Amino acid sequence: MKNIILSAVVMSLVFVSCNQKNKQEEPVNMETKAPEVSTVKVNPNSFSIKEIVTDYLFLKNALTKDDSNATADAGNAMVATLGKIDMSKLSGENMKTYMDIADDIKEHAVHIGDNAGNIVHQREHFVLLSKDINDLVQTFGTEQKLYQDFCPMADEGKGAIWISEVKDIKNPYFGSEMLTCGSVRKEF
Amino acid sequence: MRFSEKRILEMKSILKKILLIGFIIFLLMQFYHPARNIGFGQGLTADFTRVYHVPKNVETILRTSCYDCHSNKTDYPWYSNIQPVGIFMENHIKEGKEDLNFNEFGYYSKRRQNSKLKAISKEITENEMPLASYTLIHKNAVLSTSQKELVINWIHKIQDSISLQN
Repeated sequence: MKNIILSAVVMSLVFVSCNQKNKQEEPVNMETKAPEVSTVKVNPNSFSIKEIVTDYLFLKNALTKDDSNATADAGNAMVATLGKIDMSKLSGENMKTYMDIADDIKEHAVHIGDNAGNIVHQREHFVLLSKDINDLVQTFGTEQKLYQDFCPMADEGKGAIWISEVKDIKNPYFGSEMLTCGSVRKEF
Repeated sequence: MRFSEKRILEMKSILKKILLIGFIIFLLMQFYHPARNIGFGQGLTADFTRVYHVPKNVETILRTSCYDCHSNKTDYPWYSNIQPVGIFMENHIKEGKEDLNFNEFGYYSKRRQNSKLKAISKEITENEMPLASYTLIHKNAVLSTSQKELVINWIHKIQDSISLQN
């Protein structure tokens, strides 16, 4: 009996301390390293996806370096960026398209941010995140030169795309394992 | 070196006190009841079964093996009334609903719904879901190979029809 009571007490203490730990960690995750600030000036009067793309490229580059923690940071930064996007400049069909894509981007960014240390899972979400970014760029355009790259071996052999700011292939799905696997499929 | 008789008695009384305090804490914990996940948004238009045409057998599997943590209504076992089990369970359900809520599936954007379908099929294929800690007690929630196939094949069919539309 004594043992049961004692273990119940220990368990409750563990649960309480675990909860506290989680609460403490949350705000730390929010304050992530800001991606490199671009010098290109964006017209403040028009809707821009530039910041989302910047976060994405930062995330993509972290994956090419097999850096799971930096990838998670970029994912969290992306979630914060999405919250700051001003949709009031969008109208009708464009707003619908943006909201459809943005809801999904957030989904993947949150999971990538939550999975520091699990780069396999981060890369799974990166497949659909890249498709979202591709469609976002397709719809809203880009001032920056961007490339759509394709790796036939990614996503369990189904093949997957990613968006890059450089012409040279640096594969985010395999990183150092097969850094130059893939080809440029499209230029924006 | 041996403890004196007196010292042993002292230690025993300290141990008794610790156990007593622990027991009191345990009793006090029983007064705390986290808000229960019951009945909010049941039968709303956003439910998964309103978004897709879900065959009855697939729906039954989802309701038995997934809805306890991934919907707004949980069938609680009796021991969920004992703390800290109930608190642990409530956190678990909260996390599950954040990731996927079948009752609110219709509120996700179309794209996000497609991502969720892919994730559901992946979690089932890789035996990540239903969670082992859940099926340990809920034996009826364990998915047999044929049940898994049934759900996954249905999801693939839905995915194909979606990609045809686009």
